[in-house]
Amino acid sequence: MSASNDGNSSPRSQLASRCFEDLLDSIIVDVASECHRIARLGLDRNLEEEEEELRLSVQARVADPSSSTEANSKNVVDIFGLTHPAIADEIFECMNCGRPIVAGRFAPHLEKCMGKGRKARKVTRSSTIARTRHSRGSPVSVYAPYSNATNSNRAPNGTTGGSGEEYADYPYGVP
Amino acid sequence: MRSSINRPPTPDVDEEPEKEPTLQEIINIKLIESGEKEKLMELLRERLIECGWRDEMKAICRAYARKKGRNNVTVDDLVHVVTPKGRASVPDSVKAELLQRIRSFLTSAAI
Repeated sequence: MSASNDGNSSPRSQLASRCFEDLLDSIIVDVASECHRIARLGLDRNLEEEEEELRLSVQARVADPSSSTEANSKNVVDIFGLTHPAIADEIFECMNCGRPIVAGRFAPHLEKCMGKGRKARKVTRSSTIARTRHSRGSPVSVYAPYSNATNSNRAPNGTTGGSGEEYADYPYGVP
Repeated sequence: MRSSINRPPTPDVDEEPEKEPTLQEIINIKLIESGEKEKLMELLRERLIECGWRDEMKAICRAYARKKGRNNVTVDDLVHVVTPKGRASVPDSVKAELLQRIRSFLTSAAI
């Protein structure tokens, strides 16, 4: 602070600062009171628009139960203008057993295929035990070629599942 | 217990029953009487509008009102929200100009 009047300028500077703060406080109260008025009277169109948007989006969700593209998407159009069938119908190969599976039926298939189901457990009992011992119980190891569940890697692309822990060392997978 | 019927005299505006008017108050009175306070307020308001400070504060208030729900805000709330930021974000040049004016007023008022 450069108050260059007397040698001992601090009292005067202090007084001046206090006056300034007084003025500033009055102006702050002015601004606050004006904003309060605007908020309460709803004069700020932006505030209103946001509330409207919220309300509309809630309404849309409630009134049209099939509007969510996730659940129950029979006749619904998503943001790209595409429609989706209720059950995903793309067909691909299960990486566990190699069979062509409909995507929408993949989860139940995996249950049977990977040993959670009763039948699968009966047939592949010994390999299941070996598998869970290596993979610490996580069924995800089927399509992680570098995980430590080497026995369970029966993907049909020709990887041999029998060779030790070396896959775990390559974080970027082995072809 | 009967309440006292002898009321203490209503304190005069000028005379503080506790202490003498402080220097600050004297200055305030002089500022107002000479019309300088009004001029300073106008000057400060104008400068703060020019530099965008007022818009900043209004934006803060708007954001606060949006968050809290526009019917739940009080003036007190807004003042408390704005004051720290407001005090800190006054541009130095504006502050210096006002302080200079005040100091020259103090000099001319022989304080």
